[in-house]
Amino acid sequence: MAALTLETLDIINPDLYVQRGYPHEEWALLRKEAPVFRYERPSVEPFWAITKHADIVNVSRQPELFRSSQFLFVVQEEPGSPLPEEPVLRQLLNMNPPEHGEFRRVVNQRFTPRSVKQLTDQIERITTEVLDDLVGRDACDFVTEVSAKLPLAVIAEMFGIPRADWAMMFRLSNTMIGPTDPEYGTSQNITETLERARLEFFQYFNQLCEDRRKNPRDDLASVLANGTVNGEPLPPFELLSYFALLIIAGNETTRNATTGGLHALISNPAQWERLRSDPSLASKATEEIVRWTSPVIQFTRIATADTVLGGQQLRQGDVLVLFYPSAARDEEIFEQPSTFDIGRYPNPHISFGIGEHFCLGANLARLELQVMFRQLAERMEFAELAGPVQRMRSSFVGGIKHMPIRYRIRARP
Amino acid sequence: MKVVVDHNLCEGNGRCVEVAPQVFELRDDDLSYVLMDSPPQELRAKIQLATTLCPRQAIRLVED
Repeated sequence: MAALTLETLDIINPDLYVQRGYPHEEWALLRKEAPVFRYERPSVEPFWAITKHADIVNVSRQPELFRSSQFLFVVQEEPGSPLPEEPVLRQLLNMNPPEHGEFRRVVNQRFTPRSVKQLTDQIERITTEVLDDLVGRDACDFVTEVSAKLPLAVIAEMFGIPRADWAMMFRLSNTMIGPTDPEYGTSQNITETLERARLEFFQYFNQLCEDRRKNPRDDLASVLANGTVNGEPLPPFELLSYFALLIIAGNETTRNATTGGLHALISNPAQWERLRSDPSLASKATEEIVRWTSPVIQFTRIATADTVLGGQQLRQGDVLVLFYPSAARDEEIFEQPSTFDIGRYPNPHISFGIGEHFCLGANLARLELQVMFRQLAERMEFAELAGPVQRMRSSFVGGIKHMPIRYRIRARP
Repeated sequence: MKVVVDHNLCEGNGRCVEVAPQVFELRDDDLSYVLMDSPPQELRAKIQLATTLCPRQAIRLVED
């Protein structure tokens, strides 16, 4: 490959993410030579690429100066596929203070460490069942048979969605997150793909809301359906968007962290042995897996005033793109950032974001990952790749669609 | 110095209580409360660490 240069490197083309995974060499060059870099390329609106941990923290801490943009991420325009002119959903990620906090408070009590802890038995049970399904065989697709199943079941049970509808939640989440991927998109046209998926989601959630208004239960669907912001019920578009956000976010990122986590353990056999001999390392391993995989690649911000960041003059209206996986490999924050070390401590990664928009589901994701990797360490005696991983065609979320493995697993201990 | 927790941001993650249990307390409403009106200087480093670690960036250190 030709030597990387700032003028030619590419961190947005979704095909590169399919072929190579994350562009860590490109991000390393940006961190070293141009941590706040004006990225100007054909087919993508110009933006500032923010690649250092400290700069992402600094931007995230100032939600008034750097507002969340209506469009969550930048995407390369493709022929015959115009980008949506309006945001597909109106939800926490494209809201700003004070509205963002008002909406967030509708559900945040359900995601505090204390509330999430109460889900421990349920998460242990689901995980055990998922792994039980692997017993008696020696090969599987780890994504569809393991990593997708736990977060889907957990978020669906939290919402009170019947099992018969889980497959639909899975399918629509994939389409909304990966509309540019040929397996997940339903049309060459990204706008059409998103509108169709949204319509199906909204019809389903609308029925669910009507039911929970008549028959409230102790579930998240009832909290949302009967929730209020400043004393008023949530407006319909925002309400249905909220459902979609939580279902999508609850599904996609934890799945990808789980898959990427096992992939990292398979690629680093000494770390895998270390976890197997001491499953109590699962909490520290979880932090390292989140750092290592950083499933969200980018979120955007808009500067609301002229300002200076990293020595660069930004203008009001400029788009900033925060690259979280780059912060997770920042040499100034992490010793040997390119080493996967399940005992790493401290591990101040910001792969859940930080500040106003800090991942609402972080405690839930952590618990799911801790339980999954502890149980895997206890039961899975051996695992190796049985074929190449298939990555999602996206520069927004680092998804692995399929990961064939050969394995040996013990029956329930 | 004074320590302020913004309850519009705090979501009870409890990092502050882990690093400075003398200064912060997590109560039943899942919010962190400051236990001291003016914490002594020797706790400054711990409070600063708490402000850095807070995932919601809800803690502010205000100089007198």
